[in-house]
Amino acid sequence: MTGFTSAGEFLDGRTPTVRPSQASLDAARGMLIIACGDDTHEWPLDQIRAVPDQAGQDILVLRRADDPVERLILPDRALLSSLPKPYKRVRAVDGWRILRWASAALCSVALIIFVLVPVMADQLARFIPPEGERALGEVTLEQIRAALDETGMRPIPECRHPEGRAVLDSMIARLTRNSDPLPEITVHVLDHELVNAFALPGGHVVLFEGLIDTAERPEELAAVIAHEIGHVVSRDPTRHALRSAGSIGVLGLIFGDFAGGALVLFLAERLIDAHYSQDAEAAADAFAQEMLIRAEVRPDALADMFERFRAMGGDAEGIVAHFMAHPTLGDRIENARGATPPGFPETRLMNEDDWQTLRRICR
Amino acid sequence: MPPAACTTARGARITTRPFGHIGLTQDTPSENLPGPWSRARGLDHEEAAPRPAPAPGFGERLTGDDPDVLRTSFIGRRLRLFWLVLKSGFLTVLTLGIYRFWMKTRIRRWFWSAIRPGGHPLEYVGDPFEKLLGFLFAVVILAFYIGIVNLLLMFVSFAVLNGNVAAYILSFVGVIPLWFFAQYRARRYVLARTRWRGLRFGLEPGAWGYAFRALGYWALTLLSGGLLWPLMTFRLEQYKSDRTFFGAARLRQGGRWTMLYGAMKPLFLGAGLGLAAAGMIALGFAGWGSTIALCAGLTLFYGLFHYRVESLKRLTATKRLAGARLELQARPWRILWITVFGYGLTALALLVPMVAIGIALSAMLGESVMTLSPQDLSLNDLGGAVLIALSLMLYFGVFLMWSAASHALVTVPTLQHYASGLVIRGAESLNGVHQRARDAHTEAEGFADALDVGASL
Repeated sequence: MTGFTSAGEFLDGRTPTVRPSQASLDAARGMLIIACGDDTHEWPLDQIRAVPDQAGQDILVLRRADDPVERLILPDRALLSSLPKPYKRVRAVDGWRILRWASAALCSVALIIFVLVPVMADQLARFIPPEGERALGEVTLEQIRAALDETGMRPIPECRHPEGRAVLDSMIARLTRNSDPLPEITVHVLDHELVNAFALPGGHVVLFEGLIDTAERPEELAAVIAHEIGHVVSRDPTRHALRSAGSIGVLGLIFGDFAGGALVLFLAERLIDAHYSQDAEAAADAFAQEMLIRAEVRPDALADMFERFRAMGGDAEGIVAHFMAHPTLGDRIENARGATPPGFPETRLMNEDDWQTLRRICR
Repeated sequence: MPPAACTTARGARITTRPFGHIGLTQDTPSENLPGPWSRARGLDHEEAAPRPAPAPGFGERLTGDDPDVLRTSFIGRRLRLFWLVLKSGFLTVLTLGIYRFWMKTRIRRWFWSAIRPGGHPLEYVGDPFEKLLGFLFAVVILAFYIGIVNLLLMFVSFAVLNGNVAAYILSFVGVIPLWFFAQYRARRYVLARTRWRGLRFGLEPGAWGYAFRALGYWALTLLSGGLLWPLMTFRLEQYKSDRTFFGAARLRQGGRWTMLYGAMKPLFLGAGLGLAAAGMIALGFAGWGSTIALCAGLTLFYGLFHYRVESLKRLTATKRLAGARLELQARPWRILWITVFGYGLTALALLVPMVAIGIALSAMLGESVMTLSPQDLSLNDLGGAVLIALSLMLYFGVFLMWSAASHALVTVPTLQHYASGLVIRGAESLNGVHQRARDAHTEAEGFADALDVGASL
């Protein structure tokens, strides 16, 4: 496109005066000559950039990659085809600088989520009074019930069939009768097919109907409840809830508002699947074994339940998947088997009728 | 052309002439049919009615015959913006939110370039990488604040108050000063990256001063039951205006705060009607009372728009910039109509992703019902995975459609209405203004982004 010439408006970036000019292309030298009265500006073609994302496609606003303020406005877009790199990015920020701050941001978030928030949560969890813990647990339970609902209409219901409930209550009474003083324990059953159980702050233990269906003996169910009570006693859920309060805000900050919304929902579901440390799990196992022995139940019921989870294999999810992924599940089964003192009497927690009543708690 | 043309102070006048057609090439009569939605294209004939009859050249029409009076045009097709927002929003989703810095930059470039005071487009020179850097900077500082403060608030609310509604309220209250701070910082960044006729705009530092004043005036406004609202509006605007620069020239906010009471008339009328309705209901005239209450509600709703537009007009008319005066012609009814109708259409546009996903869903369920029993339709199955994928698509589809449609149907016409009513008088005095130095502003608008201060632009 030799011989291009056009009227234009030149902005020198020093004053707001719009200077009429004549722009012409010197293809041989690869220059755009901008004649503006006495001044002549020569812009190398490969340094010329079109200002992007312009609403009006009637004009062409040009700049130099190496000059922040000078602009040339042309009344049509004909010159665009003669420019070799009209849309190449103009470097405004040093890449290394971004990298440095990105690593600083990463380190600071990692430090906060993995060190500062857990340490503070562990310290603070000791000082929450029991009423505060219960309130925290109730709020969290409501959130989980709402998050698990697939219809979007109402939270998933709690199972309160009176006869089943009575059997469950007497089982819990039997479990806790001989134990050391416990915080108040409330066991909830949720009408959902997940094979799962978890503990929440303030002594709330939550069972899913799927777990009750999967357990073949009442002792196995009791073992899981005892394990969760172990978490309650060591206040694992309280620490966990405080940690996620700190982490959710930080994650929302990073992912922005709309992706953050989805993320918070996702995290609410992760709450159920609380990943406690190996030590916390081992401590809860030990607590459960002790509790079962005092309630005259063979502690290897816990091992039976774990093995049932393991046998579910590929269909595993929730707590099961968690146990499956856990490399020490085999050790924990061994441990539970070994915890049974020799000659420990085989007593049943309840008769078969009561067990069948309990299994119908959601019907 | 005489060489002197480049250097005369009247350069602006001379230059607009050779460019007579800038911006109006699209403005053919056939595209400017009457009706609210034709207005996004080129100039609005209704708005332009009091001006001289359209001359063949664009420059003449915008400036009139007087180079001292610059009118503003708005050029841009809403469909182009719709696609820009949809495309960049999609990329934002794909990149887990990282592209949002590019999205914001590109949308701003588009809007800025659409506004042409005196025929010359504004330019937004903000850089996405700069925003990314500012965001990282804000993360380093705010992650600490948000992580620790959230945790402490949660603890305090449960340890002392036994409920986390208190935590939400506390964390909200704790963020308010930061929110004003971030708002001012964001304004400073955006102005520092805005240019017109080659000159930078700017805003002096003063974010904490703004945050404290905003808190104080908000408290006064709430305590006075809204009676001191004009005081807040005026003083905060004055604080910002008096720190705003075009090149080296400082903008000055003149006038008095009491001049904004005129803009509150419909609000006072609505409040009066509300009291009357309450009185009627208390006296047992429930039928009349509720009718009047409805009128009061509608009047108050209109009153909010009226106050916003009228106070903006009064504040603009009393601003001075290096001898130039500003004037804004805008109509509250028009803004009300754009908002109600635009959001109505946006809500309708949301039906597009919803219906698409709904059809996909019913096709899937229809098939499943044939082959599977209801129990098999749980989340454990492949069907469950598809269900989750579909609901995620719905979530993001609705999000994308909402932002694209509301930009095109609400933001464009609103901005167009305001822009095409903006007049600069005494514009020749601007020719003596000089450039200002670049404001590096490392943090860009990182805090504003992180705290979501609510400004879509």
